[in-house]
Amino acid sequence: MIALIVRRGIQLVFLLLGISFLVFSSMYIAPGDPATMVGGPTATESDLEAISENLGLNDPFIVQYGRYVKNAAQGDFGYSYQTRQAVSEAIVVRFPNTLKLAIASMIVAVVIGIIAGLISALRHNSWLDVSTTTFALAGISIPNFWLGALLILVFAVNLQWLPVGGLSEPFYTVEGIKQLILPAITLGTGSAAMIARMARSSMLEVIKADYVRTARAKGVKERNVIWVHTLKNAMIPVITVIGLNFGFLLGGTIITEKVFAINGVGRLMIDSIAMRDFPMVQGSVLLVATLFVVVNLIVDIVYTYIDPRISYD
Amino acid sequence: MKKNVWLTLLLLVLLFLTACSSGESASAPPKENSKEDTKEPEKAESTSNETFTYASTSDVVGMSPILTNDSVSANITEHVFEKLFERNDDTKEIEPRLAESFENTDENTWVIKLKEGIKFHDGTPFNAEAVKYTFDKLRDPATAAPRASLLEPVDTITVIDENTVEIKTKYPYGAFLAALSHSNAAIVSPTADKELDLMSNPVGTGPFKFVSWTPGDRVELEANEEYWDGAPALKKVILKVVPEISTAISMLQTGEVQFIDNLPTEQIERLEAMDNINIEKKEGTPVYYLTFNHSKEMNQDPEFREAVAAAIDRDAFVSKLNGLGVRSDSVIGPEVFGYDASADNAGTPYDLEAAKALVQKNGYADKPIKLLTANRANFVLMAEIVQAQLTEAGFKVDIESMEWATFLDTARAGDYDITFLSWSNVTGDGSELLYPNFHSDNIGSSNRGQYNNPEFDELVVQSRTTIDQEERKVILNQANQMMIKDNAAVVMYHGIVTAAMDKAYSGLILAPNGKWSLKDVTGE
Repeated sequence: MIALIVRRGIQLVFLLLGISFLVFSSMYIAPGDPATMVGGPTATESDLEAISENLGLNDPFIVQYGRYVKNAAQGDFGYSYQTRQAVSEAIVVRFPNTLKLAIASMIVAVVIGIIAGLISALRHNSWLDVSTTTFALAGISIPNFWLGALLILVFAVNLQWLPVGGLSEPFYTVEGIKQLILPAITLGTGSAAMIARMARSSMLEVIKADYVRTARAKGVKERNVIWVHTLKNAMIPVITVIGLNFGFLLGGTIITEKVFAINGVGRLMIDSIAMRDFPMVQGSVLLVATLFVVVNLIVDIVYTYIDPRISYD
Repeated sequence: MKKNVWLTLLLLVLLFLTACSSGESASAPPKENSKEDTKEPEKAESTSNETFTYASTSDVVGMSPILTNDSVSANITEHVFEKLFERNDDTKEIEPRLAESFENTDENTWVIKLKEGIKFHDGTPFNAEAVKYTFDKLRDPATAAPRASLLEPVDTITVIDENTVEIKTKYPYGAFLAALSHSNAAIVSPTADKELDLMSNPVGTGPFKFVSWTPGDRVELEANEEYWDGAPALKKVILKVVPEISTAISMLQTGEVQFIDNLPTEQIERLEAMDNINIEKKEGTPVYYLTFNHSKEMNQDPEFREAVAAAIDRDAFVSKLNGLGVRSDSVIGPEVFGYDASADNAGTPYDLEAAKALVQKNGYADKPIKLLTANRANFVLMAEIVQAQLTEAGFKVDIESMEWATFLDTARAGDYDITFLSWSNVTGDGSELLYPNFHSDNIGSSNRGQYNNPEFDELVVQSRTTIDQEERKVILNQANQMMIKDNAAVVMYHGIVTAAMDKAYSGLILAPNGKWSLKDVTGE
């Protein structure tokens, strides 16, 4: 497993290099001048010239990119064009919020998804199955921003059970958990639906397998047939979907963080793109990419636990 | 193998816990960015009437008046810092703030007496040195200040004595006091600026002192109990970033925040139905207009511009704004210095038949018009309505909509036929509207319509270089009337500035330029 981690680590370095080049060049080509965004519509030509010079935007592309990579290799990810704050500092403040949101949503997605998938597979073709699959389809189809706004209106404005937004309280306090509930449901619903569908079809497949029939014939208790023999074997494709969904969740944080006024990396990324704040965009994209690679590495490690036949050594 | 997996999982959980707990401490800014380390940590959302939370749809860029140029940052800097002069919203005259008085010893010399005994929040005395330091820093090219151009006409700044400063301009500068009343000309503490970064540690003389900034989340201010003009009633003010306006309105409804501004047209009905808030509206300085790309041959034809102007029913558009627009043909709006009521109806009136006749006579129907618009709420609405109206008159119009940064660049490059622009006009001075937006000096930067009329340029220069304010008014009106007659731009409407505040509070001062002051706000 150590070899796997080392291999992935080396791959990650090249991956990040490639991503940084792609992001840097696409931001460079994209219309919209960072100096105009700093100076605002009122800035005169001389104001803009001074700002461009100050930000090093007058240098050729290769010089700018080379400088970026050189500094990044030394752990300096640059400074925001807008706020002049260090990129790493800006991300460190926001990352815990995004992580909290992503993990809470993943918990919502996994718990709801697996339970729904399981029920629906065990009660195949019953009204329970039909209604679960219908809800799953609805869950995939509902856009984040709409669900978020709806939940706010019902639970925060009308019933006043939960706060409208923010994520400033520690997650282990009652207030902190209350703040997490609506955003986690908003973000987790889509993934829950996907996991439910995958869990259902995978369970249905395994449930018909010979070894399950043999177990039943041997008189193993139904509870054990499901928990020990079926569920574990049905989990491999589900885990894959969970891993891939994590990336999907990170993308979804952009909208969810905006709707619920959460100060996270997703919002930082989208705001920075709008303001052409290149160093900030670079920093947040690289973080998300790293996270995606790490999560998929974890998924690969979890495989070996679920199915001992899988080995990376 | 299993052991390894459990170990990995354990490590991950630990990592998560550390990340989350470090997040909590990180949500207070790093020590050097804050003065909070000397204070007891406080609960952010106190229910006390002395804590007042404002929901802002974006974060401050920073809090140095010298280095920022956006309205959200100005909302904070206007409470922490003060300017030498300020426009009186009622009389429209510019009055001393930190200044005591001023006199012109000649056309190019401004001798400004300062108020005595005022101190910055860090204890540094406010004096002529501080004024010189601030203005020198603002106009130093090395600073790369976004609004260095405010002091472009300044030649020298001299400290006469502790409380007197003399500023010499290169040429007579009529809008000088207006420039000094701009948010970006606020006076900073020289000591603080040398020791700290004012972007994250603002130190001024204003009614509120800076406490902390969590970028992307909130800015906290506290009352300056030693404020020279009387301590404010609110003890703590929080700017909370809530990017989604509908979320901010929900927060206002549930009492999580007490104040929002810039109410969007489409949310007015919802806000009016809420019984726990008061809506403040005031005729404002912002102007929204259609401009031609004057560098294009088609747009240089006066009959083409006349046909476009005649085809646009501005009254019909303003009626769609839920009461948030004022109709006038004048480019210099009713709340801006230099306005004259005679300009209200000076433009080409709406006359569909006349427009159709011109289109037919000159064959404009064959030339497709590219209507560029930024994809911001009212701009898209304007574009759609104007497209329909122009089409009715026989023009062929294609809308090209783009996000703000791309729009600014495309408009500056002149890659369009007609577009919509706006100007909020912080100083409320007509010269500060006509010069950046329509003077040929600024083609390639802020004159996005590339309007080039030497006669008009001359009048604008006169309005800037005349010291006598009455005379300036006359000149500004002439320039205004000239460009209206020329159909250089078609004014769609003048903005109404808005804010909504919890009913438990009163005393908000909302200025025509959209800025507001919480200094006199009190809770029940």
